[in-house]
Amino acid sequence: MPPAEPLLAAHDVARRFGHRRVLNGVSLTLGAGETVLLVGPNGAGKTTLLRVLAGLLRASAGRVERRGRVGLVAHYSMLYDALTARENLRFFARLHGVEGRRRGDELLEQMGLAAFGDERVGAFSRGMTQRLAIARALLHDPDILLLDEPLTGLDDPSCAKVLQVLGELRARGRALLIASHQLAELLGVVTSIGFLVKGSLAAVEPVAGRRADAITARYREITARG
Amino acid sequence: MAELLRAAMAIAGKDLAIEWRTKTAFVSSMTFAVLVLAVLFFARDPTAVGAVEVAPGALWVTFTFAAMIGLNRAFLLERENRAMDGILLSQVPPVAVFFGKLAANLVFVGTVELVSLPLFILFYDVPIGRGLPALALITVMATVAFVAVGTLLSSMVVRTRFAELMLPLLLLPFLVPPVVGAVQVTARILAERPLSEVQGWLKLLAAFDIVFVTLSTLLFEATLEE
Amino acid sequence: MTRDRAQALARRGSLLSAVALLALAGVYVRALMFTPIERFQGPAQKIFYVHAPAAWSALLAFSVTGLLSALYLWLRDRRLDLVASSSAEVGLAFSCIMLTTGPMWAKPIWGTWWTWDARLTSTLFIFLLFVGYQVLRGAMTDPEVRARYCAVIGILGLVLVPFIHMTVYLFRTLHPDPVVMKPGAPSLPGDMLTTLLTSFGVFTLLYLGFLAQRYALAVLRDLKDEETSRAVS
Repeated sequence: MPPAEPLLAAHDVARRFGHRRVLNGVSLTLGAGETVLLVGPNGAGKTTLLRVLAGLLRASAGRVERRGRVGLVAHYSMLYDALTARENLRFFARLHGVEGRRRGDELLEQMGLAAFGDERVGAFSRGMTQRLAIARALLHDPDILLLDEPLTGLDDPSCAKVLQVLGELRARGRALLIASHQLAELLGVVTSIGFLVKGSLAAVEPVAGRRADAITARYREITARG
Repeated sequence: MAELLRAAMAIAGKDLAIEWRTKTAFVSSMTFAVLVLAVLFFARDPTAVGAVEVAPGALWVTFTFAAMIGLNRAFLLERENRAMDGILLSQVPPVAVFFGKLAANLVFVGTVELVSLPLFILFYDVPIGRGLPALALITVMATVAFVAVGTLLSSMVVRTRFAELMLPLLLLPFLVPPVVGAVQVTARILAERPLSEVQGWLKLLAAFDIVFVTLSTLLFEATLEE
Repeated sequence: MTRDRAQALARRGSLLSAVALLALAGVYVRALMFTPIERFQGPAQKIFYVHAPAAWSALLAFSVTGLLSALYLWLRDRRLDLVASSSAEVGLAFSCIMLTTGPMWAKPIWGTWWTWDARLTSTLFIFLLFVGYQVLRGAMTDPEVRARYCAVIGILGLVLVPFIHMTVYLFRTLHPDPVVMKPGAPSLPGDMLTTLLTSFGVFTLLYLGFLAQRYALAVLRDLKDEETSRAVS
């Protein structure tokens, strides 16, 4: 059986800010059920790449093909502190054209936030905010989910919850792209690793059963090459 | 079209819900309005200049300056956790975002005007009486004019460091046609003269409204990040 | 544009400006010595030969900025932004000239330093919009966003000016000035008209010369930024 079309494909994507080149000719594909972990030093362009893939930034060159809905979880929550969790979800659901009440409650349940539905987001802890941000990204049931440092600053229960949800999404055939430093925690859900160095995708390799230390060594090798 | 309106109403509703909860911008605007009305009342030689003579100018300076205090609110609240990205990710057309913000701003400014007007009548002891519908008309026309341009400009200035200073600096030239017109017509209304005398101003204001609401709507997309 | 071509443009621009300035000196001489004194306004009227064309240059600069801003938003060519912003700076200078010569002309003739006539007021607002443009430009760091935002102001400003003109005109017809305003339209007799038209021509050349210089400078700065970015990465 021929391989299915990728859900997300970037062809030679470049992005400049003024004269500064942040991304140089990045090409990658993401198919159903695939989870790619994007690693790279600070300033390599991971956040920019995710924003271009999500459609928030226009590529200066190259193009992005999306065959499905895209969701983004960034390192800013994209939520309104003055509104409650439920109100936030209902608002974004309305923008997506999705029925807000039922879907919002469903997601609150799924992310373990049902008890806090009527509390203002401003009072949430970092872990709760992140879980709600993921709920928001899932409102329109995206086929592709992009996550930028999803586990940073999370306490253990939140971390575990997020990993659980990511695993479930992968099992349901969604495509995930995760930019993160936290290799060890994510290795369980990831199928391939992309190494982004100075705006270029130096390599994309399947995990192939390697352990965290082997991959870290490979990372050092690639970044030393420069 | 219906989707567009739905999204715009959702955005406007969300803005107003947030403002209702915090009320900071509204309280600031109202306080400012009362102060300006009071200062302008005293800033004259009462034996030489009657309150009725300075009244139209005082009313419109109050309306516009109080409005400017509240205009930045609309886009500042989107910067908090970069919630605007969340809105853009939902593929809502930029026109809907503009209309939503414009509607929220109009309700905000309209409320300030509605509350200031009785105070104005009280302080300046002006005979409004039968002129009220005409006053309402001119208020709507002039308010739409400067709120439309103000909404567009605030979407730009909130990205700069001196948003509070930049908005008046950029907006004031655009206040001249609507405010001068509004003052002239208000003066006629207070003097109980027929509106047919000020046809020229009404036409100018109507033209300004049509041109600048359209232009602001078209230019708004250019102010969103891409 | 390469560095050499930019420098060539700067040189040509300087040459044009120098020629225009010489021609301006010529216009002064002609205006002061060879043009008759206006009957009602006296010698002070001669400031008009500088004042009106300066206003014209300011308006020209403003229109160029506005139109190129619209083109920029459509085509997204960075050069359009550089020309538009260069025109804005040059226009700011011309509107300063206009705003200083205006009162110098008004005081001896109408006894007041400032009159709120339609043209003077419109140019005042062109000046203020130019200032706003520069301030906004200075407050932004990202060149692409800066170009877009300045383009928005440029377009808005250009559309605003006719409305301001109309506003003051309406204001004036309801509240006519005690002194009748005669802005010295084409009903000027022969010699004066020639001097005036020559002055208009000279100021247009001056605008083009300054614009060329300023644009060349903008391009050179841009090239330097590019080199710096490349060196860093």
